[in-house]
Amino acid sequence: MNDKFPIPENEVERLAALRRYNILDTLPDTAFDDATKLVSYICGVPIAHISFIDENRQWFKSEIGIGISEVPREITFCRYTILESAMVEINDTFLNERFKDDPNVTGGFNVRFYAGVPLTTPDGYNIGTICAVDHVAKKLDENQRNALSIVAKHVMAQLELGTKNIELDAQKKIAERAVLAKDRFLANMSHEIRTPLNAIIGFTDLLAQTHLDEIQSEYIDNVQIAGENLLLIINDILDLSKIESGNLTIDSEPFNLRKTLKHVYNLLKVKVLNDVEFNLYLDADMPDMVMGDQGRLNQILVNLVGNALKFTTEGEVTVSVKKTDETDEDYSLRFSVKDSGIGIEKNKLKTIFDRFTQAEESTTRRFGGTGLGLNIVKQLIDLHNAEIHVKSQQGRGSEFFFTLTYKKADSSQIAAKTSSSNNLGELKILLCEDNILNQKLAKSVINNFGFELDIANNGEEGIELLTENKYDLVLMDLQMPIKDGYQTTEYIRNEMKMNIPIVAMTAHSLVGEQERCFSVGMDAYVPKPFKQATLLKAIKTAMNKENEPKSGRRLDLSFLEEMSCGDEDFKKEMIQIFVDRIPEQVTQLQTVFNQDDADAVKRLAHNMKSSLDIFMLTDLSSYVSTIEEEASLGRLTSEIKDKIDLLHCGIEDAVKILKEL
Amino acid sequence: MKIILAEDNDILRKSLSFFLESKGFTVDQFSDGKDALDAIEANHYDLILTDINMPGISGMEITQYVRQNINSNVPIIILTSSGVEQTELDSFDIGANEFIAKPVSPAVLLVRINKLLNTRV
Repeated sequence: MNDKFPIPENEVERLAALRRYNILDTLPDTAFDDATKLVSYICGVPIAHISFIDENRQWFKSEIGIGISEVPREITFCRYTILESAMVEINDTFLNERFKDDPNVTGGFNVRFYAGVPLTTPDGYNIGTICAVDHVAKKLDENQRNALSIVAKHVMAQLELGTKNIELDAQKKIAERAVLAKDRFLANMSHEIRTPLNAIIGFTDLLAQTHLDEIQSEYIDNVQIAGENLLLIINDILDLSKIESGNLTIDSEPFNLRKTLKHVYNLLKVKVLNDVEFNLYLDADMPDMVMGDQGRLNQILVNLVGNALKFTTEGEVTVSVKKTDETDEDYSLRFSVKDSGIGIEKNKLKTIFDRFTQAEESTTRRFGGTGLGLNIVKQLIDLHNAEIHVKSQQGRGSEFFFTLTYKKADSSQIAAKTSSSNNLGELKILLCEDNILNQKLAKSVINNFGFELDIANNGEEGIELLTENKYDLVLMDLQMPIKDGYQTTEYIRNEMKMNIPIVAMTAHSLVGEQERCFSVGMDAYVPKPFKQATLLKAIKTAMNKENEPKSGRRLDLSFLEEMSCGDEDFKKEMIQIFVDRIPEQVTQLQTVFNQDDADAVKRLAHNMKSSLDIFMLTDLSSYVSTIEEEASLGRLTSEIKDKIDLLHCGIEDAVKILKEL
Repeated sequence: MKIILAEDNDILRKSLSFFLESKGFTVDQFSDGKDALDAIEANHYDLILTDINMPGISGMEITQYVRQNINSNVPIIILTSSGVEQTELDSFDIGANEFIAKPVSPAVLLVRINKLLNTRV
């Protein structure tokens, strides 16, 4: 091919191997620099390097005493070294036939001594060298030679590690993207499924409340049960993905343990077959109130008891709860669900908590279910820092048991909880929701509660209605066209400066969504399909927050203080003028804007500015400045309209605060 | 000391009057430029404090009239809200002694008023 340098037999593969490491022209790396230093120390030479040889050059990954980054392949000593399988040592180049006339021997780097070890990839290609070079003749001893070979091996290992890390990193990214894609898929699917399901369950609820004959009632019952089952399955899948992503946390709220257990018992009693005795045994000194996650305990028990009842055709199913320990702070309670059902084979006991496995292949066909239940139960109990155990004998029955530790509830927390269930009176509610079925459903439910409801088809309509009318609360769907729930809420909070309670409604209940709702300023969260009671509870939560002194707008009356020289009566008089006059002026502003009277808009805006300045409503003052400027150019733009709307809301808030003073 | 104040925003006018009165001035206040000018012609004032944009006659017109028609050199302070340089320059051109940009700081206003009244004495 050429006469300048010898070509190894496997040159093509060798170059391919070199390229796999992506090492050429990379930045310096301490690991390689350390190895080069080590070679220099070990061999006692002023020149050492680690280099890689491609088609036409030797490139130095690391070097001492050379000072350049690469040399042409044809002048290197190493072009020969990469042909060898072991170390090449030339003790005195002057005595070496091949090199004695080499330009780098007679001049250049003045090489008298050369030792080079090929860097060999695991699959046998010499992609480069590690070398020691001196200006005087030299002979390495056995130890030095050994050491040089060992360093060469380590350099190769370092290279391998680097590539493996890069590969791993790439794989990790792929895996992360896959998880994200899965989360997104689940979120979307759950949305797609929950939206129609919301309508089905909701309207069935409403239909069930109308006057029905016996057959119709039975049909409706069946629809209700099927709907709820479908919902359970979807919730199971969502729960799993939440647990997986670490987004499921265990609440600590006061709740009545006895009531919860009785509720589960009553709920499942209806499913009990005639030949089965269903018992609930509660320890006499078991506490009533504890701090913990009622919903999750419910879920655990419904799952376990549901299973027990499903696999028991005769005999008994017994739920028992016993206090096993009590400290100053908490109770330890042992929960047990025991049945006399079909039991579980010994070799299946280990896998029953795995996902998508049921004790028997045929179980799914005979008994139904997703195969997710026990897995969720196990994970929920894990999240409680507890462990679930099972004892079972085939044909005799099974017992599932676990011990949970609950903090004691102190009486003030209990009082706080019970007092929050006060009456709300008549509320005027705005619903932002694009789905017509859901609109109708929400309308019936809200009317059932005795509240009034207005409907906006999207966020923008919602904002418009909010500026026109007075509402007590907003129900906000998250996925809407034009402006979604998040954007709308941000606008209401940041631009309109309104602190009206906002309840998020979403069929999209996944990973971090609740947090996102709260972070944009919503007050409560209802997953769809919603239960009437859940919705009412969320409305109550949001309304109670509203009553707390948490205003989005704060008034700074220091300017007025200064003007009034501390005279309270005068201050009151000014506030009264503001309260009487300013809202009226905003209304006038809207009117003259609608009449296209730019001059009047300008005059009004100008007049209002001083009033707003005195009350240091700087944001509102800047709105009227903008309005005045635009109007003085004869432009009645949509920007003015926006600003008037914002002004309207801001003034409303300010007046509300002033009236309370 | 007697000051006439012409300003059409009620809250600002009342606040300024109240403030100045509590600092010992007598203040006649008007929300209409024309009424203010009539009062200036009829009475003696030690200082005129006027807004620019008002119904009736503007603050600029009042200033012009006082300087050219009444031929008085009574100190005049113009309250401007525009923040536009030209308005401020115009204020001086037509004979105003001071202008103060809105929002008016009561303390600054007081200092300016006192300065004008003292230099006259």
